[in-house]
Amino acid sequence: MMDAIEIFVFGTAMGGIFALLASGFSLIFGVSRVLNFAHGVCFAISAYIAIFLVKEMAIDVYSASLVGIIFSILTGIIVYFLTKPIRNNIVMVIIVTLAFALLIEQILLLSFGNRGLTLKPFVEGIQVIYDNLRIARIRILAIFIAILVLILLEIFINRSLIGKRIKAVSQDSEASMLIGIDVEKVLIVTIGISSALAGIAGILYAQIFNIYPAIILRVLIYAFAVVILGGLGSFQGSILASFIIGYIFVTTMKTLGAQWSEFVMLLAIVGILIVKPTGFFGVKE
Amino acid sequence: MRWMVLIVLALLIALCASPGQVQQKRDKVVIGVIGPLSLPEGMSEEKAVKLAVEEINAKGGILGYKVEVVVGDDKLDPSVGSAEFRRLATVEKADVIIGGFSSGVMLAKMEVMAETKTLFLADASSPSHSAKVAENYEKYKYWFRITQNNATTFAYDIADMVKMLRENDYEVKRVYIIRDEHIWAEDVMRELRPLLISLGVEIVKDVKIPRNYAEYESLILEAEKMNANLIIPILALTGTGDILVKQWANLKPKLLIAGHDLAAIDYGFYNKTAGAANYVIFIADGGALVTAPITEMCKNFVERYRAKYGHYPESHQAYGAYDAVYLYKMVVEDAYRKGEKDPFNPEVLVKYLEKFNESNPVILTRPIAFTKNHDLAWGDKLIRNWISQWQDGKQVIIYPQFVANGKLKLPPWI
Amino acid sequence: MKNQILILLILFFVLILLPTFTPSAYLYLIGLSLIFAVIVVSWDLMVGYTGQVNLGHTAFVGIGAYVSAILQLPLRIGFFWEIHPMIAILFSGLFSALVGLGIGIVTLRLKGYYFSLVTAILPLVFMQKVFIWREVFGGEEGFSIPAEKIVFATTIEKYYFATFFMFISMLIMLYIVRSKIGLRFKAIRDSEELSESLGINTTLYKILAFFMSSFFAGIAGAVFVNYRLTVSPDLYDIPLMLLVILSAVIGGLGSLIGPLLMGIVVYLAKNWWLTALRWGMINEELVLYVILIAVAIIMPRGVYNEILERSRR
Repeated sequence: MMDAIEIFVFGTAMGGIFALLASGFSLIFGVSRVLNFAHGVCFAISAYIAIFLVKEMAIDVYSASLVGIIFSILTGIIVYFLTKPIRNNIVMVIIVTLAFALLIEQILLLSFGNRGLTLKPFVEGIQVIYDNLRIARIRILAIFIAILVLILLEIFINRSLIGKRIKAVSQDSEASMLIGIDVEKVLIVTIGISSALAGIAGILYAQIFNIYPAIILRVLIYAFAVVILGGLGSFQGSILASFIIGYIFVTTMKTLGAQWSEFVMLLAIVGILIVKPTGFFGVKE
Repeated sequence: MRWMVLIVLALLIALCASPGQVQQKRDKVVIGVIGPLSLPEGMSEEKAVKLAVEEINAKGGILGYKVEVVVGDDKLDPSVGSAEFRRLATVEKADVIIGGFSSGVMLAKMEVMAETKTLFLADASSPSHSAKVAENYEKYKYWFRITQNNATTFAYDIADMVKMLRENDYEVKRVYIIRDEHIWAEDVMRELRPLLISLGVEIVKDVKIPRNYAEYESLILEAEKMNANLIIPILALTGTGDILVKQWANLKPKLLIAGHDLAAIDYGFYNKTAGAANYVIFIADGGALVTAPITEMCKNFVERYRAKYGHYPESHQAYGAYDAVYLYKMVVEDAYRKGEKDPFNPEVLVKYLEKFNESNPVILTRPIAFTKNHDLAWGDKLIRNWISQWQDGKQVIIYPQFVANGKLKLPPWI
Repeated sequence: MKNQILILLILFFVLILLPTFTPSAYLYLIGLSLIFAVIVVSWDLMVGYTGQVNLGHTAFVGIGAYVSAILQLPLRIGFFWEIHPMIAILFSGLFSALVGLGIGIVTLRLKGYYFSLVTAILPLVFMQKVFIWREVFGGEEGFSIPAEKIVFATTIEKYYFATFFMFISMLIMLYIVRSKIGLRFKAIRDSEELSESLGINTTLYKILAFFMSSFFAGIAGAVFVNYRLTVSPDLYDIPLMLLVILSAVIGGLGSLIGPLLMGIVVYLAKNWWLTALRWGMINEELVLYVILIAVAIIMPRGVYNEILERSRR
């Protein structure tokens, strides 16, 4: 019983963070067909900036996190401009975003070292949940923040004008252009929002766990697993898939050990590709 | 198009060719430093060697020759490490090379060392290195481990931790082990398991974790559920020893952390964990601590290091690297006094280094003596991994008695 | 096309003559750079010719490396029966190719991005295998092969071995891309729909390209291990992958000879010419990544192709 509750709570927190990360990745892909290998940079940069501000500038953790997320958005905009001239060349888009990710990884490595760093959590202390099961409060808060942000995003996409345009462009970019939607503008907004989501995910991750330069590429694995499971370009699909991957991840870690997590991810992906190649809600290419 | 190819080829030839150098007369001594220069371990090696060389040059160098330092970055990568070693040995003509960190990279470097016959005063802890010396002495004899004891000795000191805790009326019956998924931890475990059994201690679980692992909360809860008295971390490369400690201090379980957490040796560890490190018990791998230097030279070194760089050594590799330079100077001068024709010849120097054995240690920042297979000798009067504890921002040696400068303190929640 | 063979021949003769005036520390590096260049070219064979972006090429390099190392030291898996190193090297190539075949069958029948996403994960998964079965694969340390079990032991012998290996592999790959199969690869790259309507089984040819590309990657991995005597997980790792991409892209995708030359130059630059470079924070990796981004944006077709085009104008 205790194990089940533990897996549920830990897995939901993990899944919420994956959802913030992967839904953005999926949104960008849906709107622009860009596979953004630099998405992990947005995840890491917010946490690093926040850690730097809290430690060196003695700024409170809330403002520091806000500044961190702004940096994530800026990173997203940089990626937008880097990929703009070559967007039709799939190979080059992957190469440029990957090289950009490694460049930032290297800069972080040189300025912060390769050891993991943690960000001061929004809330300290532990919460007794059941019997003797104690869980750090920040983990519970992370679940609420992630779900709240995802609900807000869902409302934004379905209700606001720009949100509707995002939806339109991801369904049919050419037709949207014909009815007078400024596709480039929609794209910038999408990348901005997606990067902010990744930034929030990074902040929460760094408070519960730790952040290190190599995570920039490592989180991408989970993002890939999520988008393949949920279907490339599907927003709802990626959120559902995130939580499933979250539970798989935590269960694997608890039963087989952490070293199996990547392997299980790959098995899951290959399994899905064999059985249902387009994921839960995949759009046909 | 052809011109492009010609340019590339011309470039290749121009950059690859270098006029064959004639054996020149010695006009200086070259010391090479090799290590992961973007990590604290490599940084402190470079800084410590440079400090020692500066001191030696100020006093007239080695046999009157000025000492020069050349540096190579192995980037924790065996290919890069062996290429850089080769460059230091053959292009820069280093007389001796000092440094290292990762055991895997060390294996690759040792091959180049054997090929170039370069004296190598090394850091790394896996027993597989000295095993090579034992296997093929003539080939690998140029290698000496100088920073720390062979990893199997960690097991002796962890077993002593259990004894020490029992002497202080803290019962240890069941232990929960969290260790690096890495060969060095495997070596420690092989020795530790029988030692724990002979002490009547049961290992309730043995968890292996990969690099950057951070989910300790569920492990700590599990250890508590299994009624463990002790979590024994055997962690170095994971790099998240600070998070283990933080989550432990946050959950306040009824068990201690005592083992080999490399991060805890770092002087900045207390601040990094915002004080969560308090009461954590660890072993001072390499036999020296900033707040408990055991020799006069060590005390001076730590202060000079701070004077020059503005902070204390960022890792214990600093002591080994600093000792290595002085040890090299000693053996060269010794060889010269004994009338050796070429006192810089590695073949000769190996014999002089081997003179420092268990009955004849040399006291530098730590008492250094080599075993038959060029490991550092382990023992009370030599180097061992002092059992230490973080107490209110200070590292205190608590065992064995004759070096201890403090007593064990238990956290208030136990 | 004739020109490519000519360039290869010139390069080959220069390499043969190089030892007469180059110190052995450099020869050692040049030999490594040749093996690396073969990895780059084998990546180009898949990516440059069929347009499918393989982000996990190093997985096959690593597989080849480990398979060969274990075949040469069969005691690690409890066998006593030793195989001649040359056969071990060939077999590792075949093994890599079979793994590629399996993965290709699952991913390449799907159009679009699945192939890239899945291959991007492969290196990490195979790297984990090294840690999980530590007794066999040696974990993070890897393990070394004693010099007695290797065909060539001295630096100069190894150097010539690498040179011949590069030359022969290049000849075979050049032959492949100039054959009928190579033309179909290019047709798929230029337009998959069109090739399908012409009756080309695109999936089959993509898988075939991946099979051959993995074969050469595996063989190169095995030669790499026989050259430097240690096998370790760095052969799987992402930095190596990016170096491969960097060389191929700057060299010009889909030309084989461009990636070959650039592979040699990039490897030597990274491991030799730029190692002295330490201006404060800036190291050679930063420089290389910036070059890669700049080249990809300014000359998306690669330096070689771009110059080729300009000189024709």
